[in-house]
Amino acid sequence: MSQPDKISPGPAYLDYSATSPLLPCVRARLHELIDLDYGNASALHSLGQFAKGIIEEARAEVARLINADPEEIIFTSGGSESNNTVTNIFSGQKIAVSTIEHPSVLEPAKAHANKIMLIPVNRDGRVDPVDIPPDADLVSVMLANNELGTLEPIRDIVKRCKTSKTYVHTDATQALGKIHIDVKDLDVDYLTISAHKIGGPIGIGALYIKKGSPFRPLIIGGHQENKRRAGTSNTLLIAGFGVAAKHVREQKTYRTYAEKIKPLRDQLRLRILAEIPYSSANTPEQGCLPNILNMSFRAAEGESIQLYLDAAGITISTGSACASGDLAPSHVLMAIRNDAEVAHSSIRFSLGLDTTEQDINKVMEVLPKIITYLQNISTINLGESHDK
Amino acid sequence: MTNKLSTNDSAYPSSDQGASSQPWVYSDIVKDHFLSPRNFLMGDENQYSHDAEGVVGNPVCGDQMKMFLRIEDNKITDVKWKTYGCASAIASTSALSELVKGKTLDEALKVGPEEITDYLGGLPEHKFHCSVLGHEALAAAIKNYRN
Repeated sequence: MSQPDKISPGPAYLDYSATSPLLPCVRARLHELIDLDYGNASALHSLGQFAKGIIEEARAEVARLINADPEEIIFTSGGSESNNTVTNIFSGQKIAVSTIEHPSVLEPAKAHANKIMLIPVNRDGRVDPVDIPPDADLVSVMLANNELGTLEPIRDIVKRCKTSKTYVHTDATQALGKIHIDVKDLDVDYLTISAHKIGGPIGIGALYIKKGSPFRPLIIGGHQENKRRAGTSNTLLIAGFGVAAKHVREQKTYRTYAEKIKPLRDQLRLRILAEIPYSSANTPEQGCLPNILNMSFRAAEGESIQLYLDAAGITISTGSACASGDLAPSHVLMAIRNDAEVAHSSIRFSLGLDTTEQDINKVMEVLPKIITYLQNISTINLGESHDK
Repeated sequence: MTNKLSTNDSAYPSSDQGASSQPWVYSDIVKDHFLSPRNFLMGDENQYSHDAEGVVGNPVCGDQMKMFLRIEDNKITDVKWKTYGCASAIASTSALSELVKGKTLDEALKVGPEEITDYLGGLPEHKFHCSVLGHEALAAAIKNYRN
């Protein structure tokens, strides 16, 4: 059998959920602005007002993308800050979160809450709205899970919370641009988004705060963002976010994801299950984002699969936290499969608007060989030798 | 059974070309031992006659290593291994197999985690345990042999 790394079908980037390359229109706007002189957007002089104009234009675009009013949007440094901001509003109160939230919800919720309540998920990674605790002050459930792509029943959760006067936050970082998002339809109180998941710059995000919902700034000591987030406004990155939001809205990217990307994702899933022994899918077949696919491979460890693929030019990410410095297996995979070996043996593919069938073919050219190779040197006995 | 891999297939670029010439999380030596592991036991372990074996770790923890030794006159004449784990776990067992081949059992036991790590050109701090596991797997095999 040939050594898997010697095969290089050419580069394929399938880690869009980690970060997406800058859209050409965003790149152009950043280049244009970096050469211009603008002042501090809080200043009254014309250079300041020029910057303020850029920021408010971007705010209007971000608001329009999710059907919010511009005054309901504050800019933050990204999804993690937006999530921290929401849990901080409910400091000392009862916070309910799903077990598969992003760490930037889980950890501040645990740190801020007087009482933390964990909402279970099923084998698909989905919350059942009946499990929402009626006595929580804040419920935070993500719109789509970042590792699995599973969509959560946010509308039903909100309906249930109406009767108990519980506020609802949803982290829509992964869902933005992949599915249609309308905050008035979702009826949530808070919604987190981030620019770099839709081809905007890294380091800028936003938080939607429904008019009338409680608020307390996380960063204090300045009147920026209508006294809701202190710190000099990041004019350049905010402008980039605005351009990305406009692009996503005008191009209706969620349609491209449904029509072009989802079939490619489904094809990859079917081919892996058919062509690779001892593979299994963690991403559910129905009710998930169109672009994420999480798979496990018995007896082959996630980081090793990732780095063999990397050596072959294919970029994916791992559900095995081993690579990130935290040796514990993914809390998301543990929540749905409760098997640490399965969790350690998983990888996540995330497709983007530029993904083609060729990329899927490149993966399938090398992945079966890599998995067989790792299974063959693995201590885990698969019950038979499948040395090719 | 052989673990000599075909590395001269001209149809494919070698691992130090193309995408893999990009920055890498581990040292070049770790990368080499990960992508071209030495002395591993391919497939069914029952096909390899050996005098001692030792196993440490658990797939549930993310790493498991197994060492197989052929021993003559208290000397390790051949080593094979199997590993389930990350790149540094595979590289650590590969490096260890090179380090102990031909050594007496007492000499081999002296090859500790630091020597494995040094041989590999260093490991990230949170991966140092991979070299510890390698050492322990070998020690377990020798202990089993002596008992």
